[in-house]
Amino acid sequence: MIVKDWCSFCGECAGVCPRNLIQVREYSLVFNENECKECSICIDACPIDALEREDD
Amino acid sequence: MIETDVIVVGSGPAGSSAAKHAALGGAKVILMDKKSEIGSPKRCAEGVSIQGLEKLGIEPSPRWVTQEIQGVRIQTPDGTDVWLTKDEVKLPEAGYILERKVFDKHMAMDAARAGAEIKIKTLVTGIEKIKNGYIVKTECMGEKTDYKCKILIAADGPEGHVARWAGLKPAAKPKEMESGVQYEMCNVEFERPGCIEFYLGSCAPGGYVWIFPKGDDIANVGLAILPHKAEKTAKEYLDDFIAKSPYLKNAQAVELNVGGDPVGGMTKKLYDDNIMVVGDAAGQVNPLTGGGIISGMTGGMCAGQVAAQAIKEDCSKKFLKQYDKMAHEELDHEIKRYKKVQEYLLTLSDEELDSIAHAFQGESFEKISTTEIVKKLIKVSPKALLKLGKFI
Repeated sequence: MIVKDWCSFCGECAGVCPRNLIQVREYSLVFNENECKECSICIDACPIDALEREDD
Repeated sequence: MIETDVIVVGSGPAGSSAAKHAALGGAKVILMDKKSEIGSPKRCAEGVSIQGLEKLGIEPSPRWVTQEIQGVRIQTPDGTDVWLTKDEVKLPEAGYILERKVFDKHMAMDAARAGAEIKIKTLVTGIEKIKNGYIVKTECMGEKTDYKCKILIAADGPEGHVARWAGLKPAAKPKEMESGVQYEMCNVEFERPGCIEFYLGSCAPGGYVWIFPKGDDIANVGLAILPHKAEKTAKEYLDDFIAKSPYLKNAQAVELNVGGDPVGGMTKKLYDDNIMVVGDAAGQVNPLTGGGIISGMTGGMCAGQVAAQAIKEDCSKKFLKQYDKMAHEELDHEIKRYKKVQEYLLTLSDEELDSIAHAFQGESFEKISTTEIVKKLIKVSPKALLKLGKFI
């Protein structure tokens, strides 16, 4: 996942992740990419479009 | 390894309330928050009811009250206003607009004064269930520390992991998590001073736009949407609204905040052996307004009181069930009822909202009660009977 530099670390993405794979630290996001099924719910929920899927 | 009776994770209003009441009950409490400044950034419209604060035993302070609410304006898409102001009606619940950052800090200070120890900039990285308690793994500026507690209280917000790590379901399904964005603005114009304003309809699909006055020409201007009902991001909806609003034509933002709001109602399971969940993490939020300060703090107070008693008696789920009972007694009437109203509002088109607002024009209310509003609603919108019939 690409986290844009305007991310505010509000935790919306972590809150909606059905698999609980996103950890919100004070100024960073940690994604457990290995378990991610690419459902995109986190990307759609971001209030400020700060997440983008990485092309493989 | 540091040992204590109670650990509260998250120092928002709900967590601080839990820590305060557990400490007042005689428990040894540690309250932790991952942030360097409690209360910042906020993610909130900052409204609370005066009655709610009174019930929690909190004396209003000029340090964190910015404005007493004088009334309510509700506007539907064609620009029709329904005003519920103090001169015209007896409002059932008077309220304040807070300075949340200051308020949150004061609530944490109250917990500290009651005896709780506070650990800021401390991130919980994992938990481990042990016999009669939990190990809580933390990290603070590179330093890792393990804590051992008999009761763990999860107050880590809608994104919180603690409850989920413990095998309890999260507060909201993705479809029930609102996406919110909010500016603090100056140069805001108000038609009637001191009124909180709500704008309904397609300007904020699944939610509403709010303008909450904070004294002088300052306001908290924001919205929440349900992403699956939306075509744009929350911020795009808000910027579009601001560009069109005559009251905001000169407004300038000095702060931007974003965040999620769980509007799915309280989680089924609020407790298990040695753990309780409070606040947004437990869905203790009014599903209609998205407001969760008083309800979260009420949940926190119940959990704190039960925790203090549990330390003296029994920390198993059998004992902690009392928290579940108290929280439901205190909050169900609000959360369950307003969930129905929210579900009903979600079914209404812009035209239907307008026709309801038209029907309310010229109506005089001596006192606003939910029942009165619902009776009038049913006259104009037969759908209301199906969804809200139980209110009458």
